[in-house]
Amino acid sequence: MKSAADLQTVVEMTRSIPCAPAILPKLLKLAEGSSSDLGEMEMLINLDTGLATDVLRTANSAYFASNQRCENISDAILRLGSKVLYRIAASTLTGRWLVHPVRGYGWEPGDLCRHSLCVAICAETFAKKMQIADSATAYTAGLIHDLGKFALAYANFTALDEIATRVPDEFPTWREAEKAILGFESTEVTKALLENWGFPSTFVSVGYYYQIPSESPEEERKIVTLIHAAKHVATQLGYGVGVDGFYYEPDEAALKEVGFKDAEMDAAIPEILATIQRYISPTGEIRFT
Amino acid sequence: MEPNGACPASDSEKGSRGHLVAGIPKEIPLPSSSRSFKLNWSMASSLNPVAEQMQTMVVGVADFKISTEPSTYIMTHSLGSCLGITFHDDKRRIGGLLHAMLPASPQVQDQKIREAMFLDTGIPKLLSALIRSGAKKHDIRCKVFGGAQLMTADSFFRIGSKNIDMFYRLSQELELDVIAWEVSGRVNRSIRLNNLTGDVIVKIPSKPEFIR
Repeated sequence: MKSAADLQTVVEMTRSIPCAPAILPKLLKLAEGSSSDLGEMEMLINLDTGLATDVLRTANSAYFASNQRCENISDAILRLGSKVLYRIAASTLTGRWLVHPVRGYGWEPGDLCRHSLCVAICAETFAKKMQIADSATAYTAGLIHDLGKFALAYANFTALDEIATRVPDEFPTWREAEKAILGFESTEVTKALLENWGFPSTFVSVGYYYQIPSESPEEERKIVTLIHAAKHVATQLGYGVGVDGFYYEPDEAALKEVGFKDAEMDAAIPEILATIQRYISPTGEIRFT
Repeated sequence: MEPNGACPASDSEKGSRGHLVAGIPKEIPLPSSSRSFKLNWSMASSLNPVAEQMQTMVVGVADFKISTEPSTYIMTHSLGSCLGITFHDDKRRIGGLLHAMLPASPQVQDQKIREAMFLDTGIPKLLSALIRSGAKKHDIRCKVFGGAQLMTADSFFRIGSKNIDMFYRLSQELELDVIAWEVSGRVNRSIRLNNLTGDVIVKIPSKPEFIR
């Protein structure tokens, strides 16, 4: 059995992954702030060449373009608005991290990114329809909800293979197997990573409690349950779902408490799929912008 | 070995066709990987130049594709709880694949829908397209995949079982000759129809590919 010290090892190892989405909390704060923060936002975006390129490309895309081309980030921010810009940044930064090749969970390259993007889109859609959370926050929470699994896979834990062979015969759920075999759950890794990067407590709660929202703090239960629901709907859609995907229990009590209804979630699927297919091609290629 | 490098279905599998169809009504079949013929596809294809020359068409979610070209694979990724349904006329080498997500189209007048998204509209549409392309209904064999189910939930997330129920109903109504069911369970399947043989290669995360 792995000791609890291994949790810290996993977190330490992921510090070396390039492109960690550590500037996201700063961008989120700026996106929620006043227009006086735009200068700081510009500075932050300019620090990352890839992100700056994506922002300019989107601002000059057919969807947003006007007669005048955006030649710099400052113009792009004004054209796109801070909310759209934040969405681009969240997708670009997180996506870049999540497509890093890893083993474990039976993932093909990019699978966790595809799945996380689907969770994000489901969460955003439900947030708008049910008005239980800010849609941009829900989108980001969906993107980052399973970072701990990515970190475990990056750390190349051979114990992941052991979990796969012992679920479901010895352990009915993936979560129980993680706890017994690793000595900790992937959600604890997510929590540690998000705390280290300075994410607001809402995101830390989502990462830690999304599998069992009934146990989350009451003030954050709605968004945690939202991600729980989004996760399960995205799993049914299949994009990027690994060997663990169908071995998590729905928390019916929390879903009912927050007001989710099965028929309404199913009815939203055509709209969710239309959005997903704007970003993921039939061959699985991801296009964030 | 077949010309494309894929192994033919085992005798026991061929002999069980009638049983598989007849066995469905009372009980949804369990994942049949244990009774499936296992094959390492990459090894098989590397041994046979014909397999390497096959072209691949990819079907997205809520879409279908057909092919009249024998040296073609028609594939779709990550079915999850959706159903992937293959039709194949092996006399004329005409095949099709539908990736449907939901059981029934909404009954709202004048609402534009994507027919391939729903089983009740997608299956008839694919069948007509095949027949228009020259396939004969009585020579078309059908195989069905996917419909994975989440852990026990009485009130939520039952798309997999709803899809399987609806497919069973439609298969009776449309008198489909269903010769393989690889449905239910807690696995995410990707499938690839070999239009030369009608074989379907199934991929599940962390498992070797196998043929149905």
